[in-house]
Amino acid sequence: MSADFATVLWKEWKEIVLERSTSGSGSYRPLILLVVLGIFVPFRMGPERFFTAAGLLVPTFFSAIVITAVIADSFAGERERHTLETLLASRLSDRAILFGKIAAAIAYGWLISAACILVGAITVNVANWHGRILMFHDAASWLILLIGPPLLGGVVATAGVLVSLRSATVRGAQQTLGVALAVVVLGTVFGSNSLPTEWKTWFARILLTWSQIDLALAAAGVLLAIDLVLLLAGMARFQRSKLVLD
Amino acid sequence: MEELAIRAQGLTRNFAAVRALDDLTLDVPAGSVFGFLGPNGAGKTTTIRLLLGLIEPTSGSAEVLGFDTRTQGAEIRARTGALLEHSGLYERLSAEDNLRFYGRVAHMPKAELDQRIQELLTHLGLWDRRKEAVVKWSRGMKQKLAIARPLLHRPGLVFLDEPTAGLDPVAAASLRDDLAALAKRWGATIFLTTHNMAEAEKLCSIVAVIRQGKLLAVGSPAELRARGGGQRTEISGRGFSDAMLANLRQQAGVSQAFVEGGQLILVLKNGGGDAQGVAPLVSLIVREGGEVQEIRSAQGSLEEVFLSMMGEDA
Repeated sequence: MSADFATVLWKEWKEIVLERSTSGSGSYRPLILLVVLGIFVPFRMGPERFFTAAGLLVPTFFSAIVITAVIADSFAGERERHTLETLLASRLSDRAILFGKIAAAIAYGWLISAACILVGAITVNVANWHGRILMFHDAASWLILLIGPPLLGGVVATAGVLVSLRSATVRGAQQTLGVALAVVVLGTVFGSNSLPTEWKTWFARILLTWSQIDLALAAAGVLLAIDLVLLLAGMARFQRSKLVLD
Repeated sequence: MEELAIRAQGLTRNFAAVRALDDLTLDVPAGSVFGFLGPNGAGKTTTIRLLLGLIEPTSGSAEVLGFDTRTQGAEIRARTGALLEHSGLYERLSAEDNLRFYGRVAHMPKAELDQRIQELLTHLGLWDRRKEAVVKWSRGMKQKLAIARPLLHRPGLVFLDEPTAGLDPVAAASLRDDLAALAKRWGATIFLTTHNMAEAEKLCSIVAVIRQGKLLAVGSPAELRARGGGQRTEISGRGFSDAMLANLRQQAGVSQAFVEGGQLILVLKNGGGDAQGVAPLVSLIVREGGEVQEIRSAQGSLEEVFLSMMGEDA
């Protein structure tokens, strides 16, 4: 299983990299993200805001958005390019195919996030050089730095694979994911305003009284739970007989 | 007892109200090149999907390499190679990476995989371009690579679904030669679907004819030619009008009548090729104003037998 998983991951990663290095405008997108999130935003934020747990949320969130394009292609792209049936006719297990594709998308988002944060750290240090290297100094920041991108990316990747498994085209999958993401973001913003006052008070008390590390751990727990639920849903939806005939 | 690579018993598959495969009973001997012939929509691809355990039959059963297709699909897929309806190539990847991926999927050791990739690509004349992305290749080159892929790990059984479809005649002939050479060299069972009779005749030791999901005949190409009649009568002469051809096609013993290179060709049904069968047809030709100079009788090609079967069954 682990060898098959690594094989799918290898193939997916090659396809992701080649697609982005050979497809005209697609090759500039990671670069644009790197310039904006690695140079422009950190420069504006400065060391006081950049080297905090909250400062890491921006690259973590955008790296998760980047995953939507990759994961939309995972099954819908194979279907569109007529490679899915051959893949399904191979000895690869359902789990190796599914997990390999999800892991490749998460790894891509994680890499983008790490690159943005690394370039951001260099930018902030260069712009604010006082003879010593500035770095993240609290446990919550390091926790978000290390597990934030894979956990949030995992939510997007597992949700995305659910869509891609059923979608006839990559464009269709991207549109569905885009709408779903907008609904979640706007729903969170507007939904939080319309919550009952007691709930708002409860949330405010948590934000004010809990330490940053406790908040980060709680968020990680929630994201992990969502990841697992969506992964189980993806495993249930992955049925060779249906995928072959779709 | 003959060893079987595939054994299907009453295999039936419905898609909603449509019966794609109807009570297919079939034995494929190990080591044979088995041709599965039929027009588009006959049920050939459905049969391959069922035999690979990708879909389940509505009724009936099948064993492939001794494994049940309903419950042991993974074992079957691990021991077979398949070129399905589409090439299945990752066009952004290079030819080498395409083969490397499927070699890794088949758990081939790296040294053996490297050697096998070189051997196959060299044999197919693709070695020098192995690093190029497949998207830049011609259709013929892609199809050659697509055929190399299922052969890579030397499986005991290879499914090839219309391997030369869409190729020009030169590329198709070249590919057939490659396939024949590879099959001969390595001796696996090949299950080949096609609607190209020349291909079946050249490559296959056994052929089965399927139409609308039903098996019409099984045997060697020579047996089918003999069994199906397929007796061909060539008549040299003049004055073969369209009305005469239409009239001839209405006759009970005639399965086809057409003019080719100035000669009237009649393909006759079972036992119709003797003098007693031909005489009334010659009379009809003369009555309709045709002039007969010479009559020759010959064994029909597999294609004529196939067309005859399609006509009889319709």
